This record gives sequence, structure tokens and C-alpha cells, in this order.
Amino acid sequence: MPNIYKNKKPLVFFLVPAFLFMIVFLYYPFIKNIVNSFQNIRGLGTAAKGWNDPWYLNFTRMVEDENMRIALKNTLIMILVTIVGQVGIALFLAILVDNVKHGSKFFRIVFFFPIVISATALGLLFNLIFLYDKGMINQLLGALGSKGLIDWKNETHALITMMIPVTWQYVGFYFIILVTGLNNISDELYEAAAIDGATRMQRVRYITLPLLHNVICTCIVLAVTGALKVFDLPWVMFPKGIPFGRTWLTGTYMYYQVFNVSDVDYSSTIAILIVVLGVILSKVVNTVFKEKDY
Amino acid sequence: MKRKSAAILLTCAMVLSLAACGNKGDTKDDSGKSASKEKSGGVTLDITTTFAGNDTNAQNFKDAVEGWQEETGNSVNDSSATSDETFKARVAADFEVGSEPDVLFYFNGMDSNSFVEAGKVISIDEIRKEYPEYADNMKDELMGASPVDGVNYSVPVNGYWEGMYVNKTVLDAASVEVPDASTTWDEFMEDCQKIKDAGYTPVAASLAQIPHYWFEFTIYNQLSPATHNVLPESVDDEHGKAWVDGIGDIKTMYEKGYFPDNTLSGTDDETFQAFLDGKAAFLIDGSWKLGGIEEATDDIDNFTVTYVPAKGDRKATDIIGGLSSGYYITKKAWDNPDKREAAVSFVEYMTTNEMVSKFAQTSATALKDGATVDESQLSSLGKSGLEMVNGITGIAGAVQDQIPTECRVPVFDGMPNLVTGKVEIKDAVSEVLTLIKDYTPEESAQ
Amino acid sequence: MKKKKLHPGQAGIFVLLSLWALTTIYPIIWVVLNSFKDKKIIVSDSFSLPLGERFSMDNYRLAFGRLDVFGAYRNSLIISITVALVVIVLAGMAAYALVRYTFLGKNLLNNLVIAGMMFPVFATIIPVFQLMARWGIVNTPVLWKSLLATALPQIAGNMSFAIVVLSGYIKGLPVELEEAAYMEGANIFQIFGKVIMPLSKPSFATVGIFSFLWSYNDLFTQTFMLRGNQYGITRLLNELTSREGTNYGLMAAAVTLVVIPILIVYIFLQKYIIKGMTAGAIKG
Repeated sequence: MPNIYKNKKPLVFFLVPAFLFMIVFLYYPFIKNIVNSFQNIRGLGTAAKGWNDPWYLNFTRMVEDENMRIALKNTLIMILVTIVGQVGIALFLAILVDNVKHGSKFFRIVFFFPIVISATALGLLFNLIFLYDKGMINQLLGALGSKGLIDWKNETHALITMMIPVTWQYVGFYFIILVTGLNNISDELYEAAAIDGATRMQRVRYITLPLLHNVICTCIVLAVTGALKVFDLPWVMFPKGIPFGRTWLTGTYMYYQVFNVSDVDYSSTIAILIVVLGVILSKVVNTVFKEKDY
Repeated sequence: MKRKSAAILLTCAMVLSLAACGNKGDTKDDSGKSASKEKSGGVTLDITTTFAGNDTNAQNFKDAVEGWQEETGNSVNDSSATSDETFKARVAADFEVGSEPDVLFYFNGMDSNSFVEAGKVISIDEIRKEYPEYADNMKDELMGASPVDGVNYSVPVNGYWEGMYVNKTVLDAASVEVPDASTTWDEFMEDCQKIKDAGYTPVAASLAQIPHYWFEFTIYNQLSPATHNVLPESVDDEHGKAWVDGIGDIKTMYEKGYFPDNTLSGTDDETFQAFLDGKAAFLIDGSWKLGGIEEATDDIDNFTVTYVPAKGDRKATDIIGGLSSGYYITKKAWDNPDKREAAVSFVEYMTTNEMVSKFAQTSATALKDGATVDESQLSSLGKSGLEMVNGITGIAGAVQDQIPTECRVPVFDGMPNLVTGKVEIKDAVSEVLTLIKDYTPEESAQ
Repeated sequence: MKKKKLHPGQAGIFVLLSLWALTTIYPIIWVVLNSFKDKKIIVSDSFSLPLGERFSMDNYRLAFGRLDVFGAYRNSLIISITVALVVIVLAGMAAYALVRYTFLGKNLLNNLVIAGMMFPVFATIIPVFQLMARWGIVNTPVLWKSLLATALPQIAGNMSFAIVVLSGYIKGLPVELEEAAYMEGANIFQIFGKVIMPLSKPSFATVGIFSFLWSYNDLFTQTFMLRGNQYGITRLLNELTSREGTNYGLMAAAVTLVVIPILIVYIFLQKYIIKGMTAGAIKG
């Protein structure tokens, strides 16, 4: 690093305001949340009824909780789907949009649409599409001559029926971040490469991807943490983990514990797990990406 | 247990009250007789209620507030909001940080426990020491005593009932008569079979999301209005057996295919829509659903509401119902000499016979004289609701209101496992009972 | 450099992009169309056009008739613009420092930033609410206090995300430009203001739009902090739509009303995200 960054005094000026906000409104409340996980709290906003006995009760409970196991498994699947599906599709689309001469502005706007519609409205739309009797898909299948109705929310289909809308919804989000990253790459580089005879694919492989490296890494960190906490759309479509608790995610299960079961202390425990997993997994992502040399 | 006897008392008294409901009793205007009536003026009350947004009474409440402000010269700082889980958390947090309102219209069940236990609301008895006529047009035993200590803290306005809504087109197609007060459970089961054979779904319900109403009535069917509200001590006692057998009836119905094909995977919205669309015949739900059906259909005459068929000691005309919210005066307002009188005057204004009748419509009230309902304002479904309420012989509160939400999980959210036999019903019920015992160690010692 | 107008590869790309665009445009059209239908036919007949008898303005009449929609827009915009601006500036400073400086505890701070992204709002709201009650800015009839009380936790809530995204972007900027500026005698604050900020404009715009979006759509904090007649747009629409038996017609109208300002803001900020504005400044 050059001499500019030898003098550490300006650090205070740059870091303190942002972290002050976070300390007051995030870290301090979350420390309270950690304390909550050892107490007995029976409703959001109500005072604790005393300490749990034993104090680590919620943590042993979490280890034994069958639903929690399902939630973790589903969330893991969700993380993989998110990385491949959301970031993958978004990257693909971003590179394509970067390569069209006309209409790129149009695509940038319309790909953004799914993120602005509320989860309730999207949930209703997808519920009507997947409706058993007789949603859009079952009507189409009927028109194509299939007999009987398919229950898209039963045990065999539920997970896929949940993941498709969630994946679809967030592609636009990563798309925009990636498009921003693409701005960083100058046209001259591509032109120089083109003159040297590089094909379109080669240009993507040797210019776009390496230079986008940091931004892709950011997207994957966001995808992993996002999958751990997503709850709104899955909750509208599959409340209470239906069917048979097969569709729990860590996010929906935590939400359920707060607002349906009123077990605030247990939900605090799940929140801690989510935060810990988020930090660990993003460390892993960062490490993997650092080692990769283009 | 004080709570038990209070529940039984409440049950008996409710019957009388509801029987009176709908009669053209004379409306006494109680306003004017209270000492707090003189224009004191200049006081601003903070008031929170659930009469907001799309609530049918939101406009009534606004008008009433206007009226009170004009009459007394006081003003109201209204922070009412639609009741949902976030709102409940907000109210609880308000009490925690000491920024609670002066007057609160809120639930009188488990939801009120935290601020009642903390002594942050004033009991009716204490208010009456100073204002002897406070809420004297209400039946004390109906006011909705707190689950904490069986003491009345709130003055109720409108109550609820649960009944069975019927889609008549479906019944016609299956040549089945609308069940009435004399329909037995066995006849009901035969009807369901006929409906199923005709190619319709007999019962609209999402056992995965809202099995609550069926849980309530199938257990009620093993008991009677007097005994329904008693929690089992063990899975083997009379009430424990009633619970196991009740849920067993749901399982039988599930096995016979009386619930929708997707009852274990669909949401309540989906099954309700199937009922509206004429794909399912019966729907058990609360009085609040009446407005929902009125709003959602063009053909309200196609729907009616009736008693849930009964077996055993329970008569079909024994229904589930009660008064679940009321006006509280907080300690904060009571201890403030300026606000005390204004708060009392406000609650009195809001709970006169006239006002309660206006708010309650067809639902239950705690009024000594009963409510007056203008039948010409009602839809045909509303009239059947009123007719049903007028014919009741007994009423019990929902027993699930006595089970903390944390403890309901095995039988409510676990219902799909029970009806498919993945979990034994008996095991689930005893799990619930264990959870309740763990939940209230201090209270079971009483 | 002029290319042939319709390269076969270009055509293929165009088809692929258009297919995806269809899936994203359809839902918004669906919502807007349904907002002009009566609630009774939305679920049973949701994929038809609101023509002739089906057409109805009732949902909008209800939304505008009952409550002060414009006042709610104003409040929401005040909150969300404040949030977006503060987040951009503070997160930009923090991200710059975290990327360019090496110092003891940097690793810890990076972990804290990630952790901050994971905290669910319902785990933090109660202590925040208690804190603000002590400061006397919640539960008052004074509008600006309530707006402030809503904005402050939202600023903190969006900070982590913004730092993560901006760090990823600033990392990719060539450090040579900063060195050149330093040689010319610029101090560190000038480097941040005159080199980093302009170069990162697109990323700041992205972060700004998402902070705005999340603040604008955040119902939970609004419900807690705004009281009585102090409406934000989501709180107002929630009051209208949440009730036994959801009124889907009103909900569709509500979504339409919520979405329009966001799209306007986004289209406005588009010009900062468009390639070419800044690319020339960076030597490849």
C-alpha cells in the first residue's frame, strides 16, 4: 500500500459514524437478544419471566428439534440454489445485457420489477399459479390432456414449488449489482482484445470474469446470507412449513417462533444460529475466492 | 381453581344475555347519569383501540370519538391500529417502556396477561370505589375476567360466536338439507358422504393451517357447555379422553375424505375460496367471517350459517362464543388527577347500551338489557346469524384460549401428523398437557 | 466501430433476454390489471382483463377516499430519502476505510459488518424501541420525531448491506488514481471526495436504490414507530388491507401505489448505473 494509507488517523473519521449507528441500533440490541435466549419470554415486547433452567435450555432444544434440522437442510439446499440459480442467472443476464446494442436500458428496468412487488402480492400470484383446483398450471395441464390434478404443494413437489419463485424474485437484485460492476470495465479493454482476435467467449472468460471477481464474491456473500434469512415469500406460500413441516427454512422457522408460537426466547436462539452461520459461511466464501487466481 | 368456576358462571350467564340479544328491548341512554359528565374540558387522552383500518367499527369509533370530544371539550390522541401480531407486540412494548395509552381497547385473554400481572391497568372494582356507576349496565360475570386472577379489568363491547357456514348450491346439488338444531352428528356424517358422492368436498378447512375450529367443536361434542372450558389434568381423565376422542373424530373425517384433497398442503385462503366457489359445502368459522363472506360474494343468499351438529351431551344449539376484548383504563391515567375523570367518562360514553348495540350488531354483548339490532340493515346471512344466536341454549368460550400458544403446537400445527397417524393422538395431547404444566408452574400451585 | 445491425448471436441474446423479461413484466401487469377489478372476481378470475363490466375503480376510490394517501407518500419519501442519503455517505466512508487501510481489528470489523446483515428486525426492535422511548422520540404526536424514530434504525439496518456492496466495488478500483491524486497534493478527504466518490457513482446509486426500497417497504418499523395519523405508505395500506378475509383488490391497488414511486426513483437513478458515464476515467 502506498504512503497515503500509512497515516491511520483519518480511520476514526471514516469508521466511527457508520459503526456508531450499528452499535446503537444493531449490536447493542443483538446483545440483548443473546441474553434473551437464556430467558423465558412469552411474547414480543413483554418482559422476561425469569431465566431458563438450565440456562442453555434453548440450545439443547435447538439441537434436538426435528423442524430445525429440516430447516437447516432446506436452507442449505436454498443456498446452493441461490448461488447457482440467482447469482448464476443474474451473471448470465448481466453479461448478455452488456452485449446488446439496443434495449439494454429497457431490460435493466424490467428485470428490476420482481424485487419491488411485495411478497404478499407475489405470494398470491404464485399461489394462484400453483393452485390445486384449478390454478394456471393445472389448467394448462388439463388443456394438454392430463387427467387429475397435481398438488404442487404436496410433499413431493413442495420444495421445488417454493424455490422457483424465490429464485426468480432475487435474480433482478443480483443482476443490478453485477451490472454496476460491469461499468468498471472499460470498453477499450474489450476493443483491444477484439483486435487481438479474442472471441466473445474468450473476452468474457479472460476480461469480464476476472475483473468482476470482487463483485461476484460480494453477490455470493449476499446470496448465502440472504438464503439464511429469507422468509416473506416462502411464508406467504407455505405458512407453518406445510406440508408436514417439510418446507421450513431457518428464516421462516424463526418468524413462526416469534409470531405464531410467541416463543421469543427460542426464536432469539435461532437468530443467534443464523448470525453465526452467516458469518462463518461468508468467511468460507471469501477464502475460496481469495485463493482463486485468475 | 378460581378460573374454572368463573368460566362456568360465565357460561350460564352468557346464555341469558344472548337470548336477550335481538329482542326489541328499550334502549336506555345511560349517559348523563354519571358524575363524570360535567364539562371538564381541556384534557387530552391517549387512546389505542383495534377499531381501525378496515374494521367494521372503525367509522363508528371515529364518530363516537368526535361525539365525546364535542360533549366534554376534551380531546383524543387516537393511535388505533388494525390488530395483528405486530400491533400486539407494539402494545406490549408500550407498557414495558411506560408509554402506554390512557385508555386501551384490547383483548382480555392471554394477550392481556403481561400488563395485568404488572399491575398497569385498573380493575373495575377499584374504579367503582370512586365511580359506583361505572359499567353498571354490564353483567359483571360476562365482562371477561383476566386469566391471571379472575378479576374484571375491562368493559367489553362486542363479542363473537362460532358457527357453521353453508354453501346452499352445493347442498342442493347433492340433495342434502341444510343442517339445523336437530341434526345429529351421525346424520351430518351421512350428509357429508352424500356430498362427497356427488363429487363435492363436504368440509372446507385447511387442517395444515387452521384446524382450530374443528378442534374446538369435536372436543365440545364430547363434553357440554358447563364442562367444555376445563383443561384436562391428565390424558386419561374425562377431559383428556374428550380431547383424544374429539381429535379422533377429525381423523375419521379425514380418512373418509370429507376434507379437501389438499387440506394438508393448502392454505386457509385456498380452502375458503373453494367454499365460496361452490366446491365445498361446509365451513366452520367465527362471526367475523360473516363480513368476509358478504364482501367476497355477489350472491349472499346462497350462503347461510347454522349450528354445528352435535353428539353426546352437547346440543347443536350449544355454541362457542364470548366477549374477547374490552376497554381498559391504565394505571398511568388513573394516577393522573386530570386524566382519571376524562378516562372514566370516555369509557362510559363508549359503553352505553346504545353505543354497544351499534358496535355489536349480531354478536354477543354483556349488556343487562341486551342489545338492539336493526334487522333491516342485515344481509340474509346476517339474519341467519341473528336467528342462530337467538336460538342458542348454551355457550362456552373457546377452550383453546386457555392454552398458551406456545403449548398448542403439538395438536394445532401437528394436526396433519395426527390425522395421518404419523403421531398418536394420545401422545400429542399428553405432550400439550406437559407443556401447559411447564408453562405455568407458579399458577398450578394455587 | 460499427457492427452489422443484426448479428445472429445478437438475435439469440435478444430472444433470451426477452423471455426473461416476459416473466418479470407479467407479474407487474397482472397486479396492475387486478387493481382495476372488483375484489370478488380477483381470485376466481384473476387472469382475465378488466374490461367492460369487470372494470372498476373502487379499489382506488377506497384507498384515496378513506385516508390521506398523499400525506403518507410524503412521510415515506422523507424517511426513505433520508435513509438512502445517510447510508450512502456513511457506508461509503466506512467501506473505503475497510478496503484501503490495514489495521488491527479490521478482520473483526468485517465480521461485524456481515453479522449486522443477519440480524432479524424483530430481534432488535424492542431494545431499540426502549432506547428511543428514553430519548422521547416515540409515541409522541410530533410528526418529525416519529419520522426520525423510523429512519434511524433503518439507516443502521441498511448500513451492513451497503458496506458489503460498496467494498466489493471499491476493491475493484485501481489504486493508481488515488496515488496520482496524492502526488498532486490532495489529502485523504479530498481523495475520497474527488476520486472515490465520483468513480463509485454507479455503485452508490445501486446502494441508494436498495436502501430506499427497503426503507420504503419496511412495514414492521413503521408499525412500531408511527402512531395514529402518522402514516407511512406501507402502514397506511396495511391498515386498509389487513383484515379477516384479505381484500385482494385493494391489495393490488396498494401494491401499484407503492411500486410507482420506486420505479420512478429507479428510472431516475438509472442514468448513474448506465455504462459509459464513468468508464472513461479508469485506465484499464
